[in-house]
Amino acid sequence: MSSTPTQPDLVHLTIDGVAVEVPKGTLIVEAAKTVKQEIPVYCYHPKLGPAGLCRVCLVEVEGMPKLQIGCNTPVSDGMVVHTQNAKVDTGRSMILELLLVNHPLDCPICDKGGECDLQDYAMAYGRGSSDVADAKTSKPKGVDLGPTIVLDEERCVVCQRCVRFDDIIAQENQLVLKDRGARDIIATATGEPYRHNFTGNVTEICPVGALTSKTYRFKSRPWDLQRTQTSCTQCAVGCQQMVDVRSGTPLRTMSVESDDAISDGWLCDRGRYNIGFYASPERITQPLYRKDGEFHQIGWDDAFSLWAKAIKSSIAANGAASVGAIGGGRLTNEEAFFLQYLFRALGVENLDWRAGTQRQAGPGASGGTYAELERADAIVIAGESPAERAPVMDLRIRKAVARNGATLIRIAPAEGTPNVACIDVATVAQAIEAMPSGAKRVALVWDGVDLQLGAELAKAASGWAGLRTYVTGEQANARGAETMGMLPREGAMDTLAMFAAAREGRLDVLSLFGVNPVLHASDAAPTRAALERIPFLVVSDLFMTETAAMATLVLPAKGAFEKGGTTTNLTGDVLPVNQSLQAPESALSDFEMLIGLAQHFDEVALPTSEELDERVIGLCAKPPVADGFGAGRYASAAPSRPAPRPSDGLAVVVHSAVFAGGGTSAHDERIASLRPLPHASLGAQDAALYGLQSGDRIDLECDGVLLRDMVVAVRPGMRPGIVALTGGLPGRAANSLSAGARARVVNVRKAAAPVGV
Amino acid sequence: MPVTKVLTAGIGEVDLRDFTVYRDRGGYKQWERAVRELQPAQVLELADRSGLRGRGGAGFPTGKKWSFLPNDNKPRYLVCNCDEAEPGTFKDHMLLEQTPHLVLEGILLGAYGIASHHAFIYIRGEFKRGFEIFSKALDEARAAGLLGKNIFGTGYDLEVTVHRGAGAYICGEETGLLNSLEGKRGEPRLKPPFPAIAGLYGMPTVVNNVETLAYLVPILEKGAEWFAAVGTERSKGYKIISISGHVRKPGNYEVALGTTVRELIEIAGGLREGRTLKAVQPGGGSSACIFDEHLDWPYDYESMAKAGSMLGSGAFVVFDDTTDFVKCAFNLVRFFAHESCGQCTPCREGGHWLETVLHRFVEGRGLRSDLEMIRRVSSTITGLNLCALGDSIEPFLKSVINRFPEQFEARIDARSLQQNGSPAMAASAR
Amino acid sequence: MPGFDALYERLRPECERLIAQYEQPRSALLPIVHLFQQHEGYTSREAMRATAEMLRLTPAVVESTVSFYTLFFRKPVGRYVLQVCRGLSCTINGAEEIMAYFREKLGIGHLQTTADGLFSYEEVECLAACDRPTCMQVNLEFFYDLTPAAIDEMIEAMRGGAFPVAPMAQTRAPESTWAIAQDDQVATGRKSPGATGVARPNNAGGLGDASGVIMLDRFVNKEIAFSERSNERLVRDSRAVYDVLEDGEQHAGH
Repeated sequence: MSSTPTQPDLVHLTIDGVAVEVPKGTLIVEAAKTVKQEIPVYCYHPKLGPAGLCRVCLVEVEGMPKLQIGCNTPVSDGMVVHTQNAKVDTGRSMILELLLVNHPLDCPICDKGGECDLQDYAMAYGRGSSDVADAKTSKPKGVDLGPTIVLDEERCVVCQRCVRFDDIIAQENQLVLKDRGARDIIATATGEPYRHNFTGNVTEICPVGALTSKTYRFKSRPWDLQRTQTSCTQCAVGCQQMVDVRSGTPLRTMSVESDDAISDGWLCDRGRYNIGFYASPERITQPLYRKDGEFHQIGWDDAFSLWAKAIKSSIAANGAASVGAIGGGRLTNEEAFFLQYLFRALGVENLDWRAGTQRQAGPGASGGTYAELERADAIVIAGESPAERAPVMDLRIRKAVARNGATLIRIAPAEGTPNVACIDVATVAQAIEAMPSGAKRVALVWDGVDLQLGAELAKAASGWAGLRTYVTGEQANARGAETMGMLPREGAMDTLAMFAAAREGRLDVLSLFGVNPVLHASDAAPTRAALERIPFLVVSDLFMTETAAMATLVLPAKGAFEKGGTTTNLTGDVLPVNQSLQAPESALSDFEMLIGLAQHFDEVALPTSEELDERVIGLCAKPPVADGFGAGRYASAAPSRPAPRPSDGLAVVVHSAVFAGGGTSAHDERIASLRPLPHASLGAQDAALYGLQSGDRIDLECDGVLLRDMVVAVRPGMRPGIVALTGGLPGRAANSLSAGARARVVNVRKAAAPVGV
Repeated sequence: MPVTKVLTAGIGEVDLRDFTVYRDRGGYKQWERAVRELQPAQVLELADRSGLRGRGGAGFPTGKKWSFLPNDNKPRYLVCNCDEAEPGTFKDHMLLEQTPHLVLEGILLGAYGIASHHAFIYIRGEFKRGFEIFSKALDEARAAGLLGKNIFGTGYDLEVTVHRGAGAYICGEETGLLNSLEGKRGEPRLKPPFPAIAGLYGMPTVVNNVETLAYLVPILEKGAEWFAAVGTERSKGYKIISISGHVRKPGNYEVALGTTVRELIEIAGGLREGRTLKAVQPGGGSSACIFDEHLDWPYDYESMAKAGSMLGSGAFVVFDDTTDFVKCAFNLVRFFAHESCGQCTPCREGGHWLETVLHRFVEGRGLRSDLEMIRRVSSTITGLNLCALGDSIEPFLKSVINRFPEQFEARIDARSLQQNGSPAMAASAR
Repeated sequence: MPGFDALYERLRPECERLIAQYEQPRSALLPIVHLFQQHEGYTSREAMRATAEMLRLTPAVVESTVSFYTLFFRKPVGRYVLQVCRGLSCTINGAEEIMAYFREKLGIGHLQTTADGLFSYEEVECLAACDRPTCMQVNLEFFYDLTPAAIDEMIEAMRGGAFPVAPMAQTRAPESTWAIAQDDQVATGRKSPGATGVARPNNAGGLGDASGVIMLDRFVNKEIAFSERSNERLVRDSRAVYDVLEDGEQHAGH
């Protein structure tokens, strides 16, 4: 071979006569991609690794008597590989012939038709004829696997990608192989649905039409879809996704396999399936103005005039401090920037993005990337579980723990959350200090809720080398809104101060953009009391939310698929939001609404679009604000932790769940079964004390509010003295509880048998 | 007659299951000597020098297999493979039930030879009685201080765990066995890595057959040269041959390797009155048949390979002129299809397809085009599989189709002679 | 199932002992399932759940593993499980006649159980006793050199309670077969709503998609012609779909 000096970690080989140089350890199947030579695969998947099951990736390696599988054969120096010759063709066509022996010929009604690896490879490498003279075996078809997936056993080629996804990636181990040999089938435990937050991914990695999404079944052919790549804005992770639209309806979303930096190629079920609301008949279609207690449809011109007039007269009468705006976490960066730009131009400084329980979005100067999270030696989770707040990010954490051996430490908020062993900050600090030096890459994941906890963490972590911080939030673009300036400056009111002022009659006009504090703030009663007292409340939203129902003026907004811009995810990546869908005719984006409003203020000089872009880009490019968790600028009116009230009963903790948030997912009946049950989670000790088991139904009396028909979930890891309730369930009263509420168990209805939860 | 009793000595004469009986005949002496006087490396060296090859089927040199273990500080395991299920093989079953202490002593020596502190024996699920007998033997040996902590005061620790399967031939494949021992489906693993590098619990592991390990006892007693003195050049020593089928005295016979095929048939009492030999399957269900012309060939690993077959586990099935080879072919293909783990395409789909077609032949509903398809599919899938099971479908099938084509031709449905007529059409034509 | 809870409680120490034999708990899966089956006569779902709990696995993983092995019965079987060898050596020495005799005598076939719950019958692969054909196992105890007369005697002894092999535990009455149909193995066994829904005019495939229904109607009423179908055209038409939605649902949710 050549005598040119080579890097020690590179090997040289020949694939189909082309010289290739790839890193040591590369698999043939990957090496072939570098010379644009596709080797067909079914069971192999770059994210799942080789399995060696389907045997379709056969290649010939000179010097080896048998054909080798490209997916599990690493390259070696001087190797000569043939991916296409007579011997390879014979082997490959045999595999395809065998896969088709019992594969049904229902391509015309199969969702995968047109994007099916079996069709494609049979076309490219198959024999084109068959010696099969016997009837095909019959297996269950149209099996209802759970709320999201339908399985056709006959189409399954037993590549086990789905099973391995559930094992290696999701680590839920619900989908398994049953029986053996030709009777192999994919199944769950008998009687159990396939249900977790990542199920939809199996429909994408299934190389055939065996696993299909209920929401997409029989809807379309791939060639009839218009595809747009965008960023998912249903949480702050920022997964890249493909939106497939047909006739103005988004039919499905797909992950972007190359999105290694953010989603790692996966989507959560909320990001994937919560798209039906765009076509919901419940969407607000016209601006609505409340007059004499009734909403009346009005035109946009009237809406802008009324809104502008209210602001003008309020400023004139009571000064700019009597006006405020809340929002930005659900808007694009451009909208958030324009929002604060416009209001500040009017002299209004009462601006905040925070409408729920989250108080902070920035991770401080030590903010990390997802790749760093995956490589951490220890991961400390404080507050709510990232599994519910930022699901796809949680896959990184699962990977770090199960595959890279990271230590997982969880700190519950003061009262504890389900499934969490409560460890206090001091104990965590000791554990981190005790770790061997050199293994100190610590990732700190915080929900941004309890600023006092954040400050304690920041103090404890100040000495940790290699610290990376992450704040999982409630709103997708919370970090972007913060960067764009949607935080009150010194002396201005933040959300809680505005609500306090409102209750005292000091706030005249409040404009809310894509937020629903009545449902999402920790304490509904005072929030409601505040909004009731505001003379002119403006709400821009897609639906008639609990908050919108209290408004003076309701403005129909566009959803994320219906507009363009950028969004900033929780690790600070600025990501594109591309329009894939036409909005209903009368809906406007918040940006358009603000422009409409601005036109009534002659004194405001609007930037040109180029100027706006420049300002936004400039802000995005600025390094993250250096202050850490629980820093002073967030803390102005944050409530201190409620002291436990000395009364009997259980301390109530409200926690979030992926599909619980009222918001948009409440408006698609197809995913109604994904909404969590109204669980009341208890520790084993309390369950024994009250004689409860999982599946029992109870009523809880909390400070005079009766929470009906809660489903008991016994979680052995929970501390005694706490009951945890799922928040954000529309029509449920859990959110309305005030901080520090205590609950008494009343009216127990026993389940027939304990139910797994 | 060249039958020699080495492992089989005493079987049928005394109750070797009795700990005292076994011990009085010199049992566990070699174990004590090994632990007290020999280094593990010396045991390995003896095994290597004796030329002992794996008696489970693959015939891999035992010493060499052990030497693949990396020289590191990881825990390493010895696993004794007693998942005997190859059609026609019944020697391990006998050893387990008749002389469990010999089996155990072999395991102890093997574990010592690779310096392991935890050995396992994987017993076929159907051998419930054997499992009980062995468990009792193990308890007795443990009570006598032959295993456990600080054996014979030497500081060497060794524990042995008995593990029972639950009905799966594929667990005889060493990586399928390891998965089953780990509480998983007995699906063979993708190799590399091989068990010597990453086996049980991801640690270096050796899997040896019962008979292989048992031979360590006489080899330690009488020396490697004693063992290597018999047999042929590359097939040394003794082997228990399970002879069954159309012979008068089927059974397990222990012989020196290299005994001729004719002698083996004679040892088993010869053919029945008035019958003539048609074929012999010399190495279990996975092996091709040999015929008249091989009668005087020595029965050893090399000769059987040269004859187009293999010695395998030493399951020697004799077929006389009453044999219906179509039925036999169907029987074995059904076996492999039934026992396929289903992981990989050629074995799962190919086995099932061939079984379906051969079933039609048994019923006299073969198609002429099927014969070509059987040949093509069975030969193409060979070599494409993840483990050896799928490659085991072809040898017997091919050898009998080639040798007795008339038996297969006779099962072609006379009324469906058109090239591609489907069986359904053939049926409706009747 | 209170009966199972008591059994679980009783067997737990033995399970713990089995787990302690191994470096990794999961290795005890087969032994634990054997133990439950010995006491229940089959491997119940409760037993699989209990195993999962002890080994910190999901029930699905335990069921998957159990389903791989033919000696684990996931449904109840008879008191005597008769497993006759159908291996090659037995077959060429008369096993087919023996099997035919069993079937006729018991009136059942492969993988079936007699109505009285006494016998389950299965034809199994080579049992490694080829020197004494035809061989069989009764509750995993070997019997060799079978003849019709020996079978008669055996069956009579079992019926009369005088057979040397102890009958299996039987905590639940067996059905006619313990083989699990593939339909029973899947989560609910039901056909999915999507599969049936496609035929219903009000449910345009899947779970009810309002715009799909409208699109369908418009196609049916020739308001959108298939002949003119192209992506551009459909995108333009999507505006029309929204018009319909807005007209129809203007006051919804207010």
